[in-house]
Amino acid sequence: MKTPTPLVRDLIDAIGEEAVVWHDEDLLVYEYDGTIDRGNPDVIALPANTDDVVNLIKIANKYDAPVTPRGAGTGLSGGALAAKGGVIIGMNRMRRILDVDPENKTALVQPGVVNLDLGTEAERHGLAYAPDPSSQRACTIGGNIAENAGGPHTLAWGTTTNHVLALELVTADGEVQWIGHDTRDEPGYDLVGCVVGSEGTVGIVTQALVRLVPRPTAVRTMLAIYDSVRQASNAVSAVVASGIVPAALEMIDKMTIAAVEPVLNTGFPLDAEAVLLVEVDGPESQVEAEGARVEGILNRFEPREVRSATDPEEREQLWAGRKGAIGALGQIMPNYYLLDGVVPRTQLPDVLDGVYEIAERYRLPVANMFHAGDGNLHPCLLFDEREPGATERVLDAGGEIMRLCVDAGGAITGEHGVGLEKRDYLPWIFTEADMETMKSLRAAFGPTENFNPCKIFPKGHGCGEAGHQHAQHQIAKFGPKAFV
Amino acid sequence: MADAETGDADRLKTLFDHVDTDLDRLKRYAVDGLVPSAAIRAAAIDDVERLQSVATERELSVIAHGGRTMLDLGMPPRGYDVALDLSGMNQVVDYEPNDFTITVQAGMTLAELQRHLATNGQFLPLDHPHFERATLGGVCAVGRGGLRRNSFGGPRDWLIGMRMVKADGTGIKGGGKVVKNVSGYDLPKLFARSLGTLGIIVEVTLKLRPQPASDQIVALNAPTFESALAAARAAANAAPFLNGCVALSAEASANAHGLGARLLHDQPAVLLRANGLESAASEVLAQALRAVRESGLEGPERTTNAIVETWQAVADLELQTDKDDVRLRLGLPPGNLARAQQILADRLRDATSRIAAADSGLMFIDVRSVDADTLKTLRRDLGPLQGRLTIESGPLELKRACDVWGPAGPGARLMHNIKEQFDPQGILNPGRYVDGI
Repeated sequence: MKTPTPLVRDLIDAIGEEAVVWHDEDLLVYEYDGTIDRGNPDVIALPANTDDVVNLIKIANKYDAPVTPRGAGTGLSGGALAAKGGVIIGMNRMRRILDVDPENKTALVQPGVVNLDLGTEAERHGLAYAPDPSSQRACTIGGNIAENAGGPHTLAWGTTTNHVLALELVTADGEVQWIGHDTRDEPGYDLVGCVVGSEGTVGIVTQALVRLVPRPTAVRTMLAIYDSVRQASNAVSAVVASGIVPAALEMIDKMTIAAVEPVLNTGFPLDAEAVLLVEVDGPESQVEAEGARVEGILNRFEPREVRSATDPEEREQLWAGRKGAIGALGQIMPNYYLLDGVVPRTQLPDVLDGVYEIAERYRLPVANMFHAGDGNLHPCLLFDEREPGATERVLDAGGEIMRLCVDAGGAITGEHGVGLEKRDYLPWIFTEADMETMKSLRAAFGPTENFNPCKIFPKGHGCGEAGHQHAQHQIAKFGPKAFV
Repeated sequence: MADAETGDADRLKTLFDHVDTDLDRLKRYAVDGLVPSAAIRAAAIDDVERLQSVATERELSVIAHGGRTMLDLGMPPRGYDVALDLSGMNQVVDYEPNDFTITVQAGMTLAELQRHLATNGQFLPLDHPHFERATLGGVCAVGRGGLRRNSFGGPRDWLIGMRMVKADGTGIKGGGKVVKNVSGYDLPKLFARSLGTLGIIVEVTLKLRPQPASDQIVALNAPTFESALAAARAAANAAPFLNGCVALSAEASANAHGLGARLLHDQPAVLLRANGLESAASEVLAQALRAVRESGLEGPERTTNAIVETWQAVADLELQTDKDDVRLRLGLPPGNLARAQQILADRLRDATSRIAAADSGLMFIDVRSVDADTLKTLRRDLGPLQGRLTIESGPLELKRACDVWGPAGPGARLMHNIKEQFDPQGILNPGRYVDGI
């Protein structure tokens, strides 16, 4: 029988036995997120309110124990992993929507609120919460804030950072601060802008005041089926260049269709090379006219077919195929490695060609489903981790794909975060001075050694994860710097 | 001190071709009456880096200048040795129209940028007063959204990348050239709205929008500013896709008319703007106008084809036109505007020009004169409405007696920490920002 350590005993004293997880078999659930890496926490603490969070951080600091905040663990960069063990502070019990203010179009929420639940609540007031990551049925607002999450509908509305007004933050030294304001642009530094997307490395968000947006009165979703990825990506470029800003502009390739169709019966043809999902919304007359224009553009690139859905059920069906795609990949191979490169939109066709070439060279099936309108790629490398050498091949191919994006003038992550897995690649886009400046921003929020260690920045000590070693192959091949 | 200043100026002259020490010309760079001992016109990032190295070595206070449209903003500087003029760095660095992004040097004016983009049917949707002079670096450093911030947000929402020079002369960058990016901390957002206190912005990369197929504008007179505000609120609620929704007092209408907004006259008015496809813009405006009528406004609807000129005339009112007036800015949740106006009407009896963005909770108020105590009382009364009242410009005595930014609020500790990290010597625009930063 395992006995609790003094750290665990203090945590139990602070928030109660039922809110502290420390038996080995229970810790397993918290060892991984959606990436390849693993982390082994010593204990999980589940606070019920802001005071709990403050107490937990102070206790952890007393024992010099690393602290890692965690939402739903749906992140895809190793951000929620306890890279150096210690305490995971899981925010899932703080899941109340505290207030919706329809007149000022804002909502005050706790960080553990599930993204879709906020969307559903906003809908009751004729409003919407714009960021809609594909994992929205599970992922939490706190995690969305940490990663500056996007989603298909951020093409028109922007990502999480464009939708957060104010935050209650417990910093790494256990101080509670409200930052931001009820309205935009108030005097003083944009602290909210610094915290959103900082991947949980400067503190733990305990409340968030977010913006809600009006719901469109009309929506039209179009599905265009193409016989080549090139045609589809040329169509994407043409839609973007036309000056229309669709609500969403997504691409799904053949491998993804093969995974999705048998499970979800979305009606995607199995022999198509690529399908585009394009949505326009707004006032009725706008949707009608823009829909017709988009359809005209899609037709210029010789689609096999363009379908159109306006009623909610049909649209839901089309979106199920996109948002359920990752889950369905298990149909093909037991494991996947999902990348998050982002490139200038005109580079998309060439970069996609490059992605297929790299996957082929590494003998890895690749499925692509992604936010084409934003230039945000999500190549999914499929593999079986039980096969010797497969994980290594996947990590090497992943590094090469990231490099491809960087060389095209892009970046290594659009919405998933650098986390644990991509930190060695940060020097591909930032100089030492850039990164030192970022670290000095972090230092302004409190001590940094033990708070969410090993994330974002390279050269952490004692963060011996698998990805780190393999990143070195790519660093050696391409050199540490390129597009800086 | 004079000797030290001469020494500094001589040192600068050995390093730069364009060092101005002529007192008359230096007066152009005066901030709250303080004149620097030298001005440097930067031609390249390298100039800015070298200047900051010297400034760090000799602890010289530096204030960056763009178009000098917002120099009244802020507290009087604690020190001011060198004016760094960035208006000569005004080139396009990189523009690929089909990516809908552009990179420009910080000294390019907003108007020049818009002209450049217009050739490709694109624009940057930021309203800023005096856009013929205002530079991108300045617009970002001030970092505020304008009258259409409800639809378009502020500079932070359009910035995707930035190059800056730190206080010690190190050149750095943040973000990139892609529209979605979480690689590293979001330094562009930190520098936007930092008022030149953390580093010098030298280059910005921005997301762009296609120009709408149709842009429409309508004005209606109202009997009082209060009724204009109520009508504008009703319009904003009924037509959430409105692009702009402004209430003006009689004086504001008259001033805007004088600046080129011909459809406004010397009466309180509501100004509505919608864009998109023609039918959609018309649909949104019709929706808004129904609500305006239901709120009780009568009289004719006036429209114009001179959309940009009209809107810019109103936007220009953000900057004080009469030097003796005090210009105030109030930000608060839009639903609280009417109650705030009651308080303001009560306390500021000689208020003249008032403009309110009814959809985003932003108001500009001119008063002939006001004392520090009245402002402090007002701030206290507006607190429960989450209102933040700042002095945009006014006499020096008032600025000295009453912090123009108001109480710093709960984030002050972190802001001071950040300032300490980025500018430990306190040489960048010292003392002018919130809480003495």
